[in-house]
Amino acid sequence: MPTGGVSVQKNMQGTPSRDGVPRHRPSQIARGLTVLVIASAVITGTGVTPAIHAQEPSPPSPLTPLASSRVPSTGSPAMRRIDAARKVLASDPTRSDVWNELGWALSRRARETADQAYYAEAWTATERSLQLEPGNLEGRKLQVWILLGQHQFPRAIEAAEQLNRAVPDDVLVYGFLVDGYVELGRYEEAEKAAQWMLDIRPGNVPGLTRAAHLRELFGDHAGAVELMDTAYRRTADTELEDRAWILTQIAHLSLLTCRAEAAERLLNEALALFPDYHYALALLAEVRLQQGRPAEAVTLRERHYAAAPHPENQFELGVAMERAGRPAEAQAAWRAFETAARQEMAGWDNANIELVYYYADHADQPADALKIAHGEWTRRQDVRTREAYAWALHKNGQSRDARVEMEKALAVGIKSPVSFYRAGAIAAAAGAPSDARRYLEQSVSACGASAVAESARSLLRGLPGEP
Amino acid sequence: MNRRLARLLLGATVTVCALGLQLSASNHREAPITALDHKADITDIFAFMSYGAGGANKVTLILCVDPLLDPGNGPTWFPFDDEILYEIKIDNNHDAVEDITIQFRFETEQRLPSLFQVYAGVGATGARAPANSPAPVPPGTLIVPPQITSFNSPGLGQRQSYSVTAFAGNQRFNLTAVDGRRLYAVPTNVGPRTIDYPALFSQGIFDLPAGIKVFTGTTDDAFWIDLGAAFDTFNLRSTVAPGALTPAQDAALENFAPDTVSGYAVNTIAIEIPVALLTRTGRIEPATSPAATLGVWATTSRPRVSVRQNNMGVPDRSGLFRQVQRMGNPFINELIIGVGSKDRFSMDVPANDAQFVGFFADPALPRVLNALTNGVLAIPPAPRFDLRPLVQYVPPIAAPGTPPGPVADLLRLNTGVPPTPFASASRLGVLGGDNAGFPNGRRVFDDVTDITLRVVAGGVLAAPFPGYNPAVNARLGDGVNVNDTPYQPTFPYVGHSPSGRDRRHIDPTEPGCTAGEGAPCPPEE
Repeated sequence: MPTGGVSVQKNMQGTPSRDGVPRHRPSQIARGLTVLVIASAVITGTGVTPAIHAQEPSPPSPLTPLASSRVPSTGSPAMRRIDAARKVLASDPTRSDVWNELGWALSRRARETADQAYYAEAWTATERSLQLEPGNLEGRKLQVWILLGQHQFPRAIEAAEQLNRAVPDDVLVYGFLVDGYVELGRYEEAEKAAQWMLDIRPGNVPGLTRAAHLRELFGDHAGAVELMDTAYRRTADTELEDRAWILTQIAHLSLLTCRAEAAERLLNEALALFPDYHYALALLAEVRLQQGRPAEAVTLRERHYAAAPHPENQFELGVAMERAGRPAEAQAAWRAFETAARQEMAGWDNANIELVYYYADHADQPADALKIAHGEWTRRQDVRTREAYAWALHKNGQSRDARVEMEKALAVGIKSPVSFYRAGAIAAAAGAPSDARRYLEQSVSACGASAVAESARSLLRGLPGEP
Repeated sequence: MNRRLARLLLGATVTVCALGLQLSASNHREAPITALDHKADITDIFAFMSYGAGGANKVTLILCVDPLLDPGNGPTWFPFDDEILYEIKIDNNHDAVEDITIQFRFETEQRLPSLFQVYAGVGATGARAPANSPAPVPPGTLIVPPQITSFNSPGLGQRQSYSVTAFAGNQRFNLTAVDGRRLYAVPTNVGPRTIDYPALFSQGIFDLPAGIKVFTGTTDDAFWIDLGAAFDTFNLRSTVAPGALTPAQDAALENFAPDTVSGYAVNTIAIEIPVALLTRTGRIEPATSPAATLGVWATTSRPRVSVRQNNMGVPDRSGLFRQVQRMGNPFINELIIGVGSKDRFSMDVPANDAQFVGFFADPALPRVLNALTNGVLAIPPAPRFDLRPLVQYVPPIAAPGTPPGPVADLLRLNTGVPPTPFASASRLGVLGGDNAGFPNGRRVFDDVTDITLRVVAGGVLAAPFPGYNPAVNARLGDGVNVNDTPYQPTFPYVGHSPSGRDRRHIDPTEPGCTAGEGAPCPPEE
């Protein structure tokens, strides 16, 4: 197999993400928002409308219990906040601010658990809040966050831009804009919005984490670590999940620069802070693969999939199984993945990129890969989608077009061994051996132990003019 | 800077002039971010044709920062911040983008590191250890340095020097004193024992090339206002209720309400520049010429953390700093811009002010006063086209035919309007028949509180409109008509800082409210 069993590339590798926003979870970048989100939800929000124009609130709606009896009464910070908000609402269901607090807590719980159902509950809470206090800022902000978590990026951007025009001082709204723009590959706009975050409230954690992600996309890994480190030091000790998330991001950046041991230490620390943290489990599996310990990677991926049972995670489980020499189990995992992923192909929240790589690299169905990749590419031009589209073109023998698309992805600045490997393979097939050599050498020099390193070396040996 | 200035500065055959004389907020904490960053908080920006001796055909630009400084607030007081980039910007072609930028950067040294306060001094020779001085300090040892009388006095422990740099297009000019002296900032007026403040004030005026003068230091806050009443939801004193002055009050150079800013100092940056160096034509233009009108604003900025780190060394200076605040007209951010937009306003550029046009077209301030007076104060209907002179280059400030440019908060100064001598000037500026005053630029003694109330809330520029009553709309005021400290008659025009030992804040009910009479202020209602 030409890719040497390459796993699906992710920008925040190891923590299954799509340029920052994971499936069935709130925006990955938005995870860095938590501190501010919670603070702003607790402190009564500023109304969008000036007081002199304030409208009378609508009559309160009767309280109907949200479908959430499965949330335990103790446990994580989000669970405790959910519990506290419900207690207040049980005695006074007319508090729009508490409905918002409940919504934020439910959204946060969605991130903790990767359970999409919490977003639907959170959305219901915002509707109650907005019924009680039409147009209230916190409720509108929360709806944008939920839309991002549900991967409704165009809708989220439109709503965030409206909010930004109404209340341009709100840092979090800039963060929503960054998230949406990044997802759609609108990096220049994302950078401007992130810069506003850094400027308007220097040192704010949501701004730091978003700027860090952009630095990573722009190829500035050291700069990304610097900002993540600052974000970690500025995050309260009590925000365990936030701290675990930031540690996981730094670990991801470490792995990207071939420092598996450093990544392992950070991930163990993250798992100590937040046991069975699904992001950390996924990345630790990647570390194990890089360390040549695929059996342990399979165990970690199984735990990860149990915690976050989404199709793309099952795909990764299959990759780990194949690397561990368990092809039959890998095929079973992939078949299940394919069935589940195809059911959600049409929506924004999908596993289409994983399907592309599955069809291109594992199922020998390049035409299917290209069809799906092209469809995804027509609605978003982020680097990950461009790269997948380039790879699908390449697998269908359209290497010249693939090269153009891959160059556009690399032009953003990404520097990952896998991306360089793919760029090299595409260039070689397109008849550009010197470019192929340059990219493949960059892949190997970025990390000689990466999943693609051996394939890159093999391709290099086959290139004309091998030194 | 125009070509003429470039020629003059680059040619630099400038004679050393005799030193001039001497050296004083409206925008305190007007946005959340500046409420957290006092050092970068711009209190006022003034721009006017110099009206004092030696100021013929020159423009004085004054930037004041760091509000409500109590001169007694030792032991380290309130120096300029070395990390802040202070800038005054001038638009001379009506696009609301700076054509000339003057930057000020400060550098602080501590010369008395072992003493417990940064300034100390007494008498001509200082104070020495007496005969009973315990060991190991022998009698006769200098303990307290002599009074501070110059920037070289040893008692000036905290000494700030600064640089002035002008940018015009891609050209950069480092402006240094023509006599080679280092540029020093005048320290605060600690008190009469410690410092001969007037002497340092005089020494703090430096001649730069091309007839430019510069001054920086702690001075009296030139602004005055009954701040406490204004921000108690316009709970103005009964003597001026319902916020409209009587004809006699309006005409008097006296105060009928306490000046909240009295006795406070502010950090001031002043520069006086020949007008021909600022116009785009390089000439002194008549008032009827579009080229006569300049747009002025000031900014404070701090080093930024940027998403992309590769802009170091790139000529784009803006990439290295984040703007903390800007100011053009007084009160715009303070009284017009909504709280949810104040920081964005502070940090954006004037050319982007169209995003705030809703605040200008239908400001909340008049509606608040209309409601508080139960309709006694009638207000003009929105949209408020009458406010265009504040945000565009239109008459009566700019000459007819001047390109209006984008909506932008700039302090617009028609340099063709000759200055009014101080003795005959009106505190009400253009509204008082004195076209050399606000809103045609802004002088230190312009009563921008009363003018703004009458223009924005009273709608005097929109009159007549239904319900307009000149006895109310045209006589709005807070009852504070004059400053508590005399202004200097020449550059830098601002007054001496109150003494830290003897400063006095005139509070409600205290004597001293009415200028010259010492009568008590009106008691609180």
